[in-house]
Amino acid sequence: MEPQPFVDDIETYAQDIVDTVREPLLMLDTNLRVQSANRAFYETFHVSSIETENQLIYELGNGQWDIPGLRTLLEDVIPTSSVFNDFELEHTFPIIGRRVMLLNGRKLRAGSHSAIIVLAMEDVTDRRRSEADLRAIETYAQDIVDTVREPLLILDTTLRVQSGNRAFYHTFRVSPEETENRLIYELGNGQWDIPALRTLLEDIVPTSSVFNDFELEHDFPALGRRVMLLNARKLQAGHHGELVVLAMEDVTDRRRAEEEAANAKEASEIANQTKSLFLANMSHELRTPLNAIVGYSEMLQEEAAEQGLESFVADLEKINSSGKQLLGLINDILDLSKIEAGKMELFLETFELDALIDEIAETIAPMVTKNMNVLKIDRAADLGHMHGDQVKVRQALFNLLSNAAKFTHEGTITLEAERQPMDGAEWIVFRIVDTGIGLTSEKLLRLFQDFTQADASTTRKFGGTGLGLALTRRFCQMMGGDVTVKSVPGEGSTFTIKLPAIVSEPVAELHGGDDGDDAVIVSTDRRETDPAPAPSTCVLVIDDNAAQRDLMRRFLVKEGFSVRCAASGEEGLRLAKQMIPIAITLDVMMPEMDGWSVLKALRADRTLADVPVIMLTMVDDPARGLSFGATDYLTKPVNRHRLSRILKQYSCDSPPCPVLVVEDDRVMRTSMKRMLVRNGCRVTEAENGEAALALMREERPSLIFLDLLMEVMDGFAFVENVRTHPEWRSIPIIVVTAHDLTAVERKRLNGNVETILHKEGTSIDDLLSRVLDALDNCAVPRMAGV
Amino acid sequence: MPKILLVEDNEMNRDMLSRRLQRKGYEVMIAVDGQLGVEMARSEVPDLILMDMSLPVIDGWEATRALKAAKETSSIPIIALTAHAMSTDRDKAIAAGCDDYDTKPIELSRLLGKMEVLMGGAGGSSAAGGSR
Repeated sequence: MEPQPFVDDIETYAQDIVDTVREPLLMLDTNLRVQSANRAFYETFHVSSIETENQLIYELGNGQWDIPGLRTLLEDVIPTSSVFNDFELEHTFPIIGRRVMLLNGRKLRAGSHSAIIVLAMEDVTDRRRSEADLRAIETYAQDIVDTVREPLLILDTTLRVQSGNRAFYHTFRVSPEETENRLIYELGNGQWDIPALRTLLEDIVPTSSVFNDFELEHDFPALGRRVMLLNARKLQAGHHGELVVLAMEDVTDRRRAEEEAANAKEASEIANQTKSLFLANMSHELRTPLNAIVGYSEMLQEEAAEQGLESFVADLEKINSSGKQLLGLINDILDLSKIEAGKMELFLETFELDALIDEIAETIAPMVTKNMNVLKIDRAADLGHMHGDQVKVRQALFNLLSNAAKFTHEGTITLEAERQPMDGAEWIVFRIVDTGIGLTSEKLLRLFQDFTQADASTTRKFGGTGLGLALTRRFCQMMGGDVTVKSVPGEGSTFTIKLPAIVSEPVAELHGGDDGDDAVIVSTDRRETDPAPAPSTCVLVIDDNAAQRDLMRRFLVKEGFSVRCAASGEEGLRLAKQMIPIAITLDVMMPEMDGWSVLKALRADRTLADVPVIMLTMVDDPARGLSFGATDYLTKPVNRHRLSRILKQYSCDSPPCPVLVVEDDRVMRTSMKRMLVRNGCRVTEAENGEAALALMREERPSLIFLDLLMEVMDGFAFVENVRTHPEWRSIPIIVVTAHDLTAVERKRLNGNVETILHKEGTSIDDLLSRVLDALDNCAVPRMAGV
Repeated sequence: MPKILLVEDNEMNRDMLSRRLQRKGYEVMIAVDGQLGVEMARSEVPDLILMDMSLPVIDGWEATRALKAAKETSSIPIIALTAHAMSTDRDKAIAAGCDDYDTKPIELSRLLGKMEVLMGGAGGSSAAGGSR
């Protein structure tokens, strides 16, 4: 028959489709016996066709399909409705375990075959599981959101509220019903319709998916005025689409607390200032009667001595010394209160350490000998100058020495002083060593605290308030240094003061204000922080060869220079620092430290960086020398005339070099000149800056006295011009002016002039005497014999 | 006998210092405020003025400036007596034209030393000359 193969084809075709379907399929007859199954069925349930076909479905695989739900379906639903969809069956299958199956059934009539039931099974276990997970995650997220104590709002991108958390509803006293699905601005009678918030949500959030700590101050009807800190995140929330989480932190209390803390701090600062002011005034009031006590007792002492009333003298001496002691304490309190009030200032000047030490040694001598002690001074030879507050250095040393004297009997008190390079800077180190009672480590800890002596018994035995050490330390710290102490009980103590050799001006103040304007002498530093130590007229010769040194010295002296010699690089550096020569001749080939190293060290030292260095070498390699910062370069044997010519650039034709007076007032100029000449100076004069520059080109002065306000070229322009010439850079300039300098003008001069002398309110004699002081400080060479 | 003008408003200080100076052989004149000090300096032309700085009417700095500005008194040396060893006061005194300063309480021998230096020279300046 023709049609049969065709039908067979169709059947094979149908079977192929059935086998291709990835879902397990069972074909049952109306008696619920399996006609056939597809490949997916066998694979899924791990059974073979032999144990499946022609079996009752309930008997399959040891009755694993004998499920009440399935029975109902097959026996009750199918016969009547011939179709069912998505019957969900959860069952534990022996081999594949617990599964959720979605069953679809069709009753089909397939050609000549009797009716069959096609049962399709979809394993939805995994899908169901992930759906459950998702639900759990959402619940979990919601739980977190609700647990957060900060109010949170979840908005969609149209700014409608998706939900709020419990804290939100609680804080703003609204219900979810009146909140969800509403525009945020409509919430709670428009309490969130705040311009700043609109900006935030409409302008900022759309462009930047995150913002933090947006502060919003607003009157909320339910809460009153509040400061809210808003944080927002834009996030992709799966099928929810894009959401904005808005977190609100009520920082009102915190802000208030901060404000209160700030107020309290301010109040306490004011109180502290008031206290300091009170102390300052009090000290003044205490001093007045004390002056009378000290004065009258001293006076009576003199009278008693004259009249031979010896017994009175001793008692009057006690009154007098007690008064002085009390006065000292009051002064300490005043100093301390000034430090606390930030009113203590530094008066920086350059002074000679040797002179200071001599003076202190002399002052302290009576106190030292009182307890039968011996004072030893042990100082380095090269102490030189220090730039700092001389009064405070003196007081610090005096305090420590008098302490040492107080706590030592029949012992030795040693004052040591030396220079020490540390961290690329020069430091002055003082050590006060005694052989006194010493201190335990516990006492050491409390030693520098205000009003604290090592212990109460000490106070009874030795007197004093314990202010001295605190003050000493504060003074040293103000100058950028500090005091440390080492001590062995019963053996003695060592106090060490370390101060920068060049103390820099405290940052905050530039001698401005009232005091600054009245100040006569304001030492301004040549460079930002370091003052010029007095420049000398010396040329420094550094050469290891004695014959060469001698030759060079004789030649230079003949040319009118004074000369110092150094036999090694180290010695040369030390001398250079000490004397700041006008120029250095430097031999390259030296043992140990060679000329290049010396040059490098010189250039690295801020006080010496500008000193011209002339390298002397056998090897003609000028590029190298100049690249190392040498000023000039000569090959040996040295062409003396060239050397002389080079040096004259930094000196003048016929030393001693002149002092240049630049001043437009003829009377003033003449009297200055006369006085300078009287003091042994050679003087040149100019009536304005331009004339002065012309003079300087002819002959280099060793020092310039400069008026500021002049016609043609004023002092400011002059200073700036001079400093552009390297060979003039080291000439000290002393400004003599009647002009009250503004802060800006001071700044213009700062770093470029040595000293500023104020003319106003000063007699000419007095001014001249101060000019002389300045002259002395600058160590200008004078004519011999004057 | 050198004539000293003491300008001081505090009675006890004035009393003490004047008596002690008199005992040392000075003739002492007294002014109790800055204004009187300037007037007396003009009329009496003392050899030296000891000037307290915090004075009523016009203070010591102003009085000093006035004295140093006037021809007839500019050469009279003035020693400022400042309350405390405060560098600002000291500098202000020198700025005003004082030739020297001393701090209270007065240490007589120190003050006498300074007075002698100033009166020993022919007036105004204590030039720090000399070759080195």
